[in-house]
Amino acid sequence: VRIVIVGAGQVGTTIVEALHDEHELVVVDLDTARLAALSYRYDVTTIEGNGASRRTLQEAGIAQSDLLIACTSRDEVNIISALFARPLAPDTRTIARTANVEYLEVWQERELDVDFIVSSELETAYAVSRLIGVPAARQTDVFAEGQVQIVEFDVEPGARGEDVVGRLLREARIPPNSKVASIIRGGQAIVPRGDQSIQVGDRIIIIGSPEAAREWSAILAPETGRVDDVVIYGAGRTGVAIARVLLAQQIRVRLIEADPERARRVAEELPDARVFNATGIDPDFIERERIGHTRAAIFAMRDDPKNHYAATLAKLHGVPFTIAIVHDTISMEVFERAGTDVAINPRLVTAEEIVRFAHDPRTQQVAMLEGDRYEILDVTVRPESRLVHRPFRELPMTGSLIGAIVRDGEAIFPHGDDVLQPGDRAIIFTESSRASEVERAL
Amino acid sequence: VIAVARLRRAVRPASLGVEIGAALNLVGALLKWLSLSALMPAAVAFGYGEPPWPFLAAGAIAAGVGWSLEAVTQGKERVGAREGFLVVSLIWLLAAAFGALPYLFWDGSQLDRPLDALFESMSGFTTTGASVVTDLTELSRSIAIWRQFTQWLGGMGIIVLALAILPRLRVGGRQLMESELPGPEMESLTTRIRDTARRLWLIYLALTAAEFVLLSAYGWSGADARMTPYQAIAHAFTTMPTGGFSPQARSVGAFAAVTQWTIVVFMILAGANFALMYRAVVRRAPRVAVRDGEFRLYLALLLLGSLVLLADLLGRGIYEGEAAVRHAVFQTVAIMTTTGYASADFTQWPVLAAVVLLALMFAGGSAASTAGSIKVVRHLLVGKLLRRELDQTVHPEVVVPLRIAGTVVDERTVRAVIAFVLLYVGLFAAGTMALALDAERAGLPVSALDAAFAAATTLGNVGPAFGFAGPMGSFEPFTDVSAGTMIALMWLGRLEVIPIVVLFTRRYWRA
Repeated sequence: VRIVIVGAGQVGTTIVEALHDEHELVVVDLDTARLAALSYRYDVTTIEGNGASRRTLQEAGIAQSDLLIACTSRDEVNIISALFARPLAPDTRTIARTANVEYLEVWQERELDVDFIVSSELETAYAVSRLIGVPAARQTDVFAEGQVQIVEFDVEPGARGEDVVGRLLREARIPPNSKVASIIRGGQAIVPRGDQSIQVGDRIIIIGSPEAAREWSAILAPETGRVDDVVIYGAGRTGVAIARVLLAQQIRVRLIEADPERARRVAEELPDARVFNATGIDPDFIERERIGHTRAAIFAMRDDPKNHYAATLAKLHGVPFTIAIVHDTISMEVFERAGTDVAINPRLVTAEEIVRFAHDPRTQQVAMLEGDRYEILDVTVRPESRLVHRPFRELPMTGSLIGAIVRDGEAIFPHGDDVLQPGDRAIIFTESSRASEVERAL
Repeated sequence: VIAVARLRRAVRPASLGVEIGAALNLVGALLKWLSLSALMPAAVAFGYGEPPWPFLAAGAIAAGVGWSLEAVTQGKERVGAREGFLVVSLIWLLAAAFGALPYLFWDGSQLDRPLDALFESMSGFTTTGASVVTDLTELSRSIAIWRQFTQWLGGMGIIVLALAILPRLRVGGRQLMESELPGPEMESLTTRIRDTARRLWLIYLALTAAEFVLLSAYGWSGADARMTPYQAIAHAFTTMPTGGFSPQARSVGAFAAVTQWTIVVFMILAGANFALMYRAVVRRAPRVAVRDGEFRLYLALLLLGSLVLLADLLGRGIYEGEAAVRHAVFQTVAIMTTTGYASADFTQWPVLAAVVLLALMFAGGSAASTAGSIKVVRHLLVGKLLRRELDQTVHPEVVVPLRIAGTVVDERTVRAVIAFVLLYVGLFAAGTMALALDAERAGLPVSALDAAFAAATTLGNVGPAFGFAGPMGSFEPFTDVSAGTMIALMWLGRLEVIPIVVLFTRRYWRA
């Protein structure tokens, strides 16, 4: 497979490293020195030029390529590169890296003609969330600014909820504002109708509000010690993205930011977080705010040494679990050697996500569960759809489920009497094979 | 004109930072247009066979003064933010003076002293509703309707009206409008200030018309025999601006229960945020009203006040059954929305009721309503500010932006609100003291509570006070010094203090 990679920075290099064995790679960058370093190490073609230029893309042979990965550190270059590639090579799939969550949202609403968008901040946030988010959840995806969550659970023998597990679904006391989207038993998917029940050993997929996800977690994993209080050092874009994802899971978040202007802006942006304007390394402050009592601390400041110092200090004050966001590859080792529990490199996480996509390409997907068996679609309902203005009770049952709709920015978890309206954003759980059919219907 | 020319010469020095000429030019233009409003009572006078000349003369004088102000000064396309304060302060003063002229020219035995006439007129335009008339039955129909009409004109604001219909104020009107519209910060309904002004007036007009139709229907169907079309329009004119003037000596107490309940509903609407109403009704988003923190607190305070009054009235056996509920609700709504109608003479009520009513005078209606006083949204903001101060004494580094209805209020606005509340309370204290001392000097029967009531009622543009100036009484016994004090308080209260007070600072005039 021929792949064009725009950007030979840390992300680009990591991707090259992972893909150069099996694929034919063309790397585009403005920096000759970087390209030279890359071409000494790997067997790749390099082209010096601007990735957001059609001439460069043509020169890189975009028409003969199967995939374009635009992963420079500049969002706009990446998006323009991917958009330019579309008419030049209609069959080439495109991946763009962005740091801006807004671009990601636009893409989720299908308004951006790029096959896959990866946000480093969000991927990092999900990585953190996987470490301390909803316990017992195998995978969590968030939609509509965190108002809708899709969570996959394994039902283990310790599960508490007698009202739920083992009961027929129509009698089970399902947490409000949530739906069972699917039950997977012995590799077989079961459509969760009223006469089915959840059994120990099942894997289930839930669509619901963050509160409902938490209730499910409490039902299915009562023993797991839950992290419900987190301190994040640094309210940069990564810190804010992490805070958003954790807040959506009803975790109490405190952010510490040294820059007063930045602290004010973030406090305005995140009404549910507590923002402190402090360096966070003043012993009086740590003592006064009882930072040592928190269950986990995340260090997302821009400077690796600062993160390192703060993380060590937090450990000294008794924080049991520390996660550092590091920017230099070499820092990973330093952090983990020095006692930080986990070090996450956003560029590596992003590169991994892109590589995952390059290995297992699937266009037009927003999220996948159970490998590739299910997809979650986030579709805006067109006025001419034949499903509009009909109550949910009357919608055809085809194994797809409208888990939630977002109307006027607010998530609604529909009941039989609710009516689908044009302009609603529908979060749909569907079998992958039916995805395009569902999209057409809406 | 000579005085103006002299003033211009006197304040000419280069260090002057205010373009007085441009401001006066605009004031002249506004006054000229405002003079047209005299045609309305003139037509009523004509219709009832009363002499229309007091109104025509007043209109002619106002038009003449306005025209000459315009003639001797140089107009500008756009008046600046600074000049805005001067324009707003002056036009309201001149409007009151213009409104006083018909009372002077009219040949009744009341309102014939200039200060009394000015008091009545200022009370009208500022939608206060305090009156120095002792015998309302003596007023001619045209004079009585002029009293009502001044309140209707002043309710939504002279400048807002001018913005809506005059082409001249198209640019630079926002600043002017903001210093006139009640509430800390105007929510624009549209990006164009003129459209916003038009929409506000449209709601105002529609609600006034609706009230008129309903009230006349009661009169016509016999549900309320005393509600003639004349009375219906007179009360429609003073409910929506939260004015409170009534041609009836017993105020709304003269009418049937159904009329009183209807007026309660319209008073509540008048005290609610017009921008919110527009969005809830015209844009069909009723949920914005339900979710709005100010609107909820507004209703909660009305409910709380009503319940306390009801408990007091029932407990002391003053009223029973429906009458107790009606009077408790009516008086709470009338006072808190700063309308100032009365369904009963609350000066006869126990002291707890009086104190509750005095407290409600400081609540006021919502922002962007026609109500006066401090307003609910400011109380909400001050409450949140206090909570933040307590939070920060324990957590000094925490950053907590203040939010109203989900949107962040910037710190400058917060400071402006604190300044306003402090000035307001300071003026209330000063006014109370002045009125109490002056009454003692003149040997009037004014208790400390009465003086506090009189100061709060005029500053908050409410209307009735306590003691002899109660809802069935008159402000006539007050001395000239007290009357002048209260005229100033009404003027300050209507423009929300700051645009006027700023004129008395040296920094305002300096370049």
